[in-house]
Parts: sequence; C-alpha cells; structure tokens
Amino acid sequence: MEHGRTPDPKPPDNPSAGREGPPGRGLSLAREASLQSRLIARDEQALVELVDLASPWLLGVALGMLSDRDEAEEVVHEAFTIAWRRVDLFDQESGRLLPWLLRITRNRAIDRLRARRRRTLKQRRLEAFGGAGERVAPAVEPDESARPGWHIHDTVHQALAHLPVEQRAVVDLAYFQGLTQSEIAGQLGIPLGTVKTRLRLAFDKLRLRLAGIREWVL
Amino acid sequence: MTSHEWFIEQRQAHVIRALEPDEERAFHEHLAGCAECREATAALERDLAWLPLGAGPVAPRPGLNRSVVDTAMGRRRATAGRLAPLALAASLLLALGSVWWARQTVSRATGAFALRQAELTTALAGARDTLSILRQASTVRHASITMGEYRGGMVILADNQSHRWNVVVYGLPAPHDGQVCQFWFITDSGMVKGVAVPTSVGAATVLTLAMPPGNFQVKGASLTMEESGSAAPAPQGKELAHLIL
Repeated sequence: MEHGRTPDPKPPDNPSAGREGPPGRGLSLAREASLQSRLIARDEQALVELVDLASPWLLGVALGMLSDRDEAEEVVHEAFTIAWRRVDLFDQESGRLLPWLLRITRNRAIDRLRARRRRTLKQRRLEAFGGAGERVAPAVEPDESARPGWHIHDTVHQALAHLPVEQRAVVDLAYFQGLTQSEIAGQLGIPLGTVKTRLRLAFDKLRLRLAGIREWVL
Repeated sequence: MTSHEWFIEQRQAHVIRALEPDEERAFHEHLAGCAECREATAALERDLAWLPLGAGPVAPRPGLNRSVVDTAMGRRRATAGRLAPLALAASLLLALGSVWWARQTVSRATGAFALRQAELTTALAGARDTLSILRQASTVRHASITMGEYRGGMVILADNQSHRWNVVVYGLPAPHDGQVCQFWFITDSGMVKGVAVPTSVGAATVLTLAMPPGNFQVKGASLTMEESGSAAPAPQGKELAHLIL
C-alpha cells in the first residue's frame, strides 16, 4: 500500500475575483457564456475569438502528447471543427466550453497515439525490452506568464508537482502521454496493481486540489 | 471481476482513458444502466476539467488560427502547418492595404463572380488575421517622422504569441522617382532587409509581417529612404524612423 507524502491538500481559494486575466484578453464567465451563445448562433467572429484564445493551450496539449507539430496542428483543426459543428449539442449544465474543447483535443490526440502504436506494435515486439516508448518534451514555453489562462496552468502545475515522484510518473504516462494502465505497467516494469494504486492515489489528490479551480476562467 | 465495486474502482481510469479497450467497452455498457456511475464520472470530469492545462501553451505558427477557422467553417481541409506560408501570404496580401484591394475589386467589377468572391474571401481572411494581431498586440511602439512639410509616423503592434507585427506607416508622401521607402528589421546580428513600403499622404499603409528567418533575435525596426533597385544588404540612405521594441 502506498501513501502520499503530502498532507491532504487544501483546495485553492475561489479566485472568481481578480483571476480572470487582463481585461479584454482573458475570458470571464459572462464572456464565455456569451461566446457559447454566439457560437450556437453560428457567429463566425465568435469562433475566431475562441480560436485566438484557446489554440495555444490546445496546441500545447496535443504537441505534448504527439511530439509532432504537424500532427498536433491537425488535432487542433479537428477539435475546433468538432466544437463548431456540435456546440449546439454541448450541455452547459454538465461542463464548460474550454474544458470541453480541451477534452476533445486530448481524446483526439489519444486516438492518434493509439493508432500510431498499433502501427508500430509489430516493430516494438521485436525490441528486446519492449522499447522505451516515446518521451515527450515539455511543451512549456518560457515567458508566457502574461497569457490568458496562465494562472490555471500554474495551479495545475503546482498540483502535479505536489505528487510523489512515482505517482507523478504514472500520471504523466496516463494523462499526458495517453498510455493505458497495462501499457504503463509494461513501460515502468511494475505490476498492474501498483499502477492502478498509484493512479488512484494521485487522482484523489489532484481532484481535491483541482476541484477548487473548476469555476476559474481563462 | 465485473461487480459494481470493479466499476467504482475503474471510474478514474475511465475518465482519463487509461482502461484497456475491452475494459472500456465494459465500462461504457455499464454506464448506460448505472446512474450512480454516470453521476460519479461526470463529477470527476468536472473536477479534473483544467488538468489538461498541466501542459503548457505553445504559440501557434503564423496562419494556423486562420486556417483552423477556415477548416471549421468548411472552407478548406485541415492541412496542419504545411499551408501556414500560404496563409501568411494571404495575410501579407491584405497588408498591402485595404485601399489597394478596394481599388482593385472596384476596377474589376465586370470580372467573373467567382474571381471577385475569391478576392473578397482573401481580403476578409487577411482582415481578420490583422485584427487578431491588433487584439493580441502585447507591445506597441510609435515613432514620429517629419519629411519637409509632412508629419507622419510609423506604429508597430507586436503580437508575441504569433510572433508577427502589424506595421502602420502614415502621413508620408510618395517617394521621389528612383527612391523607395524601405523597412528593415533591427536584429542582434545587424539589419535585415524587409519590404518596400508604399507611402501616400492620403492613406496609411498597413503591413502584417512575420519575423524574418534566421538565427538571430529581432530587436526593433528601421525605416529608410533608399535608391530603388538597390541590392545593398544594409541601409545606405537616410533613416526616417528607428524603433526598439
């Protein structure tokens, strides 16, 4: 049984005031709602605004997972196309616009990763120890702290940094590289049960830390 | 093990898509009939909504955002960054000035509808692209320029996300015959030649410029009056404006 090394984290204070980014560049809750209404009304300018605001973050997610800029940009194209076509089906009660876009992006990136892995499975089986898998370079670029949404990135980054090293490793592989639990076990050379335990402990902590910021805005 | 306890244990793995394909199928089938698990997984998704932002942002290549909008609107197929130079070219076309575009479209009023539609689309894409830089500009610099009786200037609006500038040159007369108003990038490796800037007292010239390729850092810009046709790699003529960002 593994135990976390940090005490129960305290969720961040509600930052609804003063954490919405510079005026005119960030996204207030009201502007997010307005943006969604305009998207549903097929306002192309709303799509332009959404793309300008969100594309760096979507590109960061996709590039971090795929390690291929062209492929990552294709995923961003797909994510916004899906969002534009299905925004009228998006249930505002069950989630928020930007997290929904991020989820679409991550899912598309995982689909591509798994298709890529299937293609190379035969080759990897020939490798003596199963290969080291693909390690992605951090997608973080320096001097970006003025970007809308940076405060969320910073908080998420801190939440991840508080995880014990072995839990952080499985979260990286599962969430940011799209590996299944069995693939993680194979890659790290540890029992599947250990992977599941580490993931459960890690996500219990992340959930506590991140639940407090779910109403934050870019 | 497919008891309800198993599904409870696998909720997190399902939400982050870490289940094996057969486990995922079983979980999906279970979700259809289990309101408790549906609510629990939805709550998990809400709590972890911002977790993807653990990956940092990456500045889009020039033209990507425009291309994304066009793809979503069904005006083109997704081609990733490979068409970025074309998008940039479209932007540059706009940059030569909405006035020029207006004259061209008006003078071609008798042309084919398809041709005009293409021109409008290109100009509109460029206008939107230019506006996106204006909205995102993080640095703005202005230099006054005096040329005899004329008082004009140059404004640079720099978008540090897309690494592009909107450059506005206004209030300057057309150059004398045999001369050209030349834009230069000031870099830590010296001056890099940019575009020739058409000037007219009656209309500002708006340029959308990507940073020149090369292993150097762009520090600012200069505007000079040069002999037309000069192939000199560095300014030879009088400097009209000098801006450090």
